Amino acid sequence: MTSAVSVHSVSIHGLTVRHRRTTALDAVDLSFGTGVHGLLGPNGAGKTSLIRVLATVAPPTAGRVELLGGDISAPTHRTSVRRRLGYLPQEFGYYPGFTVREFVAYMAWLKEVPRAKAPAAVERAVARVGLADRIDAKVRTLSGGMVRRAGIAQAIVNDPELLLLDEPTAGLDPEQRVDFRALLRELGRTATVIVSTHLVEDVAAACSEVTVIGGGRVAYRGTPHALAALAAEAGAEDFGDNPIERGYAVALRHHRSGLGGSAGWGAGR
Amino acid sequence: MSPLNSNSPLNSNLLLYARSRALPMTIAVLVAAAPATAWCADWLLTRSDPGPRARLPVLVLAPVLVAAAIGVGLYSHGDELDRTAVRPWWPRRGWHLLLLTALAAGLLAVAVPGEPQAYGAAAMARNVLGAVGVTALGAALIGARLSWLPMLVHTSAVFLAGQAEPGGSGAVWAWSVQPGAQRAAWGTAVALFAAGTCLYALRGARPEGPGSRR
Repeated sequence: MTSAVSVHSVSIHGLTVRHRRTTALDAVDLSFGTGVHGLLGPNGAGKTSLIRVLATVAPPTAGRVELLGGDISAPTHRTSVRRRLGYLPQEFGYYPGFTVREFVAYMAWLKEVPRAKAPAAVERAVARVGLADRIDAKVRTLSGGMVRRAGIAQAIVNDPELLLLDEPTAGLDPEQRVDFRALLRELGRTATVIVSTHLVEDVAAACSEVTVIGGGRVAYRGTPHALAALAAEAGAEDFGDNPIERGYAVALRHHRSGLGGSAGWGAGR
Repeated sequence: MSPLNSNSPLNSNLLLYARSRALPMTIAVLVAAAPATAWCADWLLTRSDPGPRARLPVLVLAPVLVAAAIGVGLYSHGDELDRTAVRPWWPRRGWHLLLLTALAAGLLAVAVPGEPQAYGAAAMARNVLGAVGVTALGAALIGARLSWLPMLVHTSAVFLAGQAEPGGSGAVWAWSVQPGAQRAAWGTAVALFAAGTCLYALRGARPEGPGSRR
């Protein structure tokens, strides 16, 4: 649908986000196309700030953000983007007394899923995250991992073309994470999925591309395979238990020592 | 059993919105407040020496209480997710406040009939407008959970100052203790209501609770 305009469903230029005096993102240029993209980085690196701007819930301080073929500073396009966007915040409140079905239906209503299709879309989204047997349970009676999955269900209820997940695997047990990665791969066949995470296993297993963010800038971009290969050539055996963790450490180390942003470390694209 | 299984998805969506903002509870409070107000007003009139201001405490306090109920109900448990809504929120927020205010003003005005020139239905309606306005400003600026605080402070200040003489500058700032016909008091109350409704409709309640970042 958007391919006529651009091959990238997300394209940002010079994106800067400041919270009072701290700079969360500093003139970041990035683009994402169809597929699953991992977003790695230390706490406070700017991952959540990036995802909130892409979700249209926080305005950028400066820079241009194009989503699904248009600039989101235009209200009409922003409205159209929101209909096709799914977002799981890192922390989200839910209304007391709502069941999983009601919670997801409420979000489907806000996202303007057509009324005739909404009940089936709600049941399908809840089934896809494996909560079908708890669909009429109150959200507040669920465990943390189940609440997280209900959050994922509301993010996919409108079959989004752009799906933004901020730490979706926090609180999921290992088996649920395996199921979730399978769901991610399935969604990534047709949609642009951006997943922020601290768990490199998620990146290795589910992502076609990984972006490392450090100190509000892009520290590394490449495939998970290339990130793992980075560790071998740089000889970072002192950190991490697997090649991707070591690659992540090397990328951040190079970025911090001032190489970030210059040739070879993929700040610009 | 679930309202979503009914044949009217439009109504079930509005019902979900109503439940998300604790509207059933708020409306129950408003409906219960009317007879309680009427009973208190009557009791004040049956005392040995009911002066022209006998019903004043009820006229001042009842609007503060219903405004508090309305204000606390403006809390959004899922602010971060609500922001992803396709449509702008201001019409929904505006109608929410206007309808509840109309209901509260109507019910409470009926509870204190008569004496339109002094402390009756007109003063009650004015006080509901002003109290809801201040409370909505509170919700937008300090958050819905403490939105009742500014109106309580104002009411306390007015009582402590003992300002109940009609007219003068007191009619502007001590609007809640003026007789129903005082134009300046109406002006203040209507301005507060307009300001509170506009600010709340445009900005919503100040984010608080999980996930709020400011």
